[in-house]
Amino acid sequence: MTSIRARLLVALLTLVACASLFAGALTYRRVLAETSTLFDYQLRQMALSLRSQVSLAPRLELPPDQGDADFVIQIWDAFGARVYLSRPGLPLINRAVLGYDDLSLQGQIWRVYSLQTVDGVIQIAQPVRVRQALARAAALRVVIPLLLLLPVLGVAIAWVVRGSLSPLRRVAAEVQRRDVHSLAPIGSIPLPQEIAPLIDALNMLLVRLQAAFATQRAFVADAAHELRSPLTAVRLQLQLLDRAPDESARLEARTALGAAVERAIHLVEQLLTLARNEPRTSSGALSPVALEEVVADAIGDTHALAVARAIDLSLDAQSTVLIQGDREALRAMVRNLIDNAVRYTPVGGQVRVVCRSTAEAAVLEVIDTGPGIAAADRERAFDRFYRRASAAEEGSGLGLAIVKAIADRHGAHVTLEDAAAGGLHVTVRFARGLSVA
Amino acid sequence: MRVLLVEDDRMIAQGLQTALRQDGYTVDWMGDGNSAAAALHSSHFDLVLLDLGLPERDGLEVLRELRRRGDATPVLILTARDEVQDRIDGLDSGADDYIVKPFDLDEVSARMRSVLRRANGRGDPCIRAGGICLNPATHAVEQQGVPVQLSAHEYAVLEALLQRPGAILSRAQLEDRLYGWDTQVESNAVEVYIHSLRRKLGSEAIRTLRGVGYFIPKE
Repeated sequence: MTSIRARLLVALLTLVACASLFAGALTYRRVLAETSTLFDYQLRQMALSLRSQVSLAPRLELPPDQGDADFVIQIWDAFGARVYLSRPGLPLINRAVLGYDDLSLQGQIWRVYSLQTVDGVIQIAQPVRVRQALARAAALRVVIPLLLLLPVLGVAIAWVVRGSLSPLRRVAAEVQRRDVHSLAPIGSIPLPQEIAPLIDALNMLLVRLQAAFATQRAFVADAAHELRSPLTAVRLQLQLLDRAPDESARLEARTALGAAVERAIHLVEQLLTLARNEPRTSSGALSPVALEEVVADAIGDTHALAVARAIDLSLDAQSTVLIQGDREALRAMVRNLIDNAVRYTPVGGQVRVVCRSTAEAAVLEVIDTGPGIAAADRERAFDRFYRRASAAEEGSGLGLAIVKAIADRHGAHVTLEDAAAGGLHVTVRFARGLSVA
Repeated sequence: MRVLLVEDDRMIAQGLQTALRQDGYTVDWMGDGNSAAAALHSSHFDLVLLDLGLPERDGLEVLRELRRRGDATPVLILTARDEVQDRIDGLDSGADDYIVKPFDLDEVSARMRSVLRRANGRGDPCIRAGGICLNPATHAVEQQGVPVQLSAHEYAVLEALLQRPGAILSRAQLEDRLYGWDTQVESNAVEVYIHSLRRKLGSEAIRTLRGVGYFIPKE
């Protein structure tokens, strides 16, 4: 785990230290350059002033210099003999390069200025370390206060960082308070603009989570509630079977019990189909599917019911209509559409399934001669467990909800209309290019 | 004993009808709120078994309308709504009892008997009058402590007359209790049952008020 505070502290202190050292180095160089110019000038001035003295008194006995003096003076006569040395035992050079020169002598570097006079050469030398010492002192004067400030800076930085990060701690505390039962968005904390996007994203996630949990809870509650009816029927028939007074009553109860169990199984299957096709939970890749084949399969699934209800069930497929889809889900969708149509259409009616292809969409239509759905109820018809009052057979109330969920998954659009001959006309439109969801 | 069953679930309704008929009740079935309200408006029932989640009109609404009219017909709610608040709403709307699905058939029968008993102002599970004792739970009938065997129809007629001793029930009222709407009524069936009841219980057990109807005298 990395600590922003530690990283900032180390980085900032290192930066400050580096900057201090850089400033020191810069100061050193600048001061060294300046003192060099200054001392060079001084060396020349001394040489010039000595020349005037020496020319006046060529054999002038200058007093020997003190040992710790910065300067060493050497005077040569015209014949190359040394006439004066300010610090005996420290012979500079015998040959002189006129003007400025750097010489290494006895482990130190000397700055030397040699001046040609009428009767000789005047040499003045100064150790370079004098100049370096000055520059070093100037540099240290800059660096040391800065380095001394480092601990203070460290404390200050830590304090500022801590203050800046405190909204994060508050946010963490807020997030910690959230759980499955309280997913309220985090609000009313004054936030720095760097953290605000995180909180916005988190809040959006919380809202989505809340909605998802609410949907899930509602679904489970609805499912539990809806399972009561078929289970009540099962229990009822079981008790009737127990108390049946004669063989015919027993047979009747056993048949009814079988039907009740079938109904409970059907509801559970429908619930599963719906849950599998709920948005974002659905898995299974989409692949090219021939719509008319799926419809043919679905007609096979519902054929028995259609025959039992004497419904004329027909398929009108022009040509191969290819869409991107999950074959099993599409089959469940078409089966539910046909099943609904067959259940709600009075005995002897018609259910027509049409599969066609237009320029911009693949279209599936299921048209029945039943009672239809009133315009006001069409929106609600897609709700889970919505049932039309005129159901001839007990449905799960999930048919259209499943159709909608599967259509949504395939980017398809479902519309309910009145059929030309009365009854319901359901259209599922798979937009081309969009069907690859 | 005539019962109105209001239930939109066909399977449950059919099962309940079978069970209630086996218990000797006359059952009429309505599948939605509006027809239930209409039936309650036009006919007399001894008891109503009412589902709440109904098409067209909610069961609670049907119940409230019934009570607003001053109709005190015992109502037993049979529903999948199991929240405490739902039960409170149901009972406070005028229901006499509240049973949550999935229910036990025997419990429904027992609660129906209990509701009917209270509706008729009795605490005794047996109905007693004129030396006759009738137990609705077992359908056993005794006269002065001696068991009497009755047919289902004879039992139904006797039970109707015993509900309120002294009160006179016309032939039409008795037919009403014996047959639902979907049964053909034989013209002299009630006379036949009264006759056989008198044969088994003694001629003085059931009195006739000529031109009005039949009654069992109060003790």
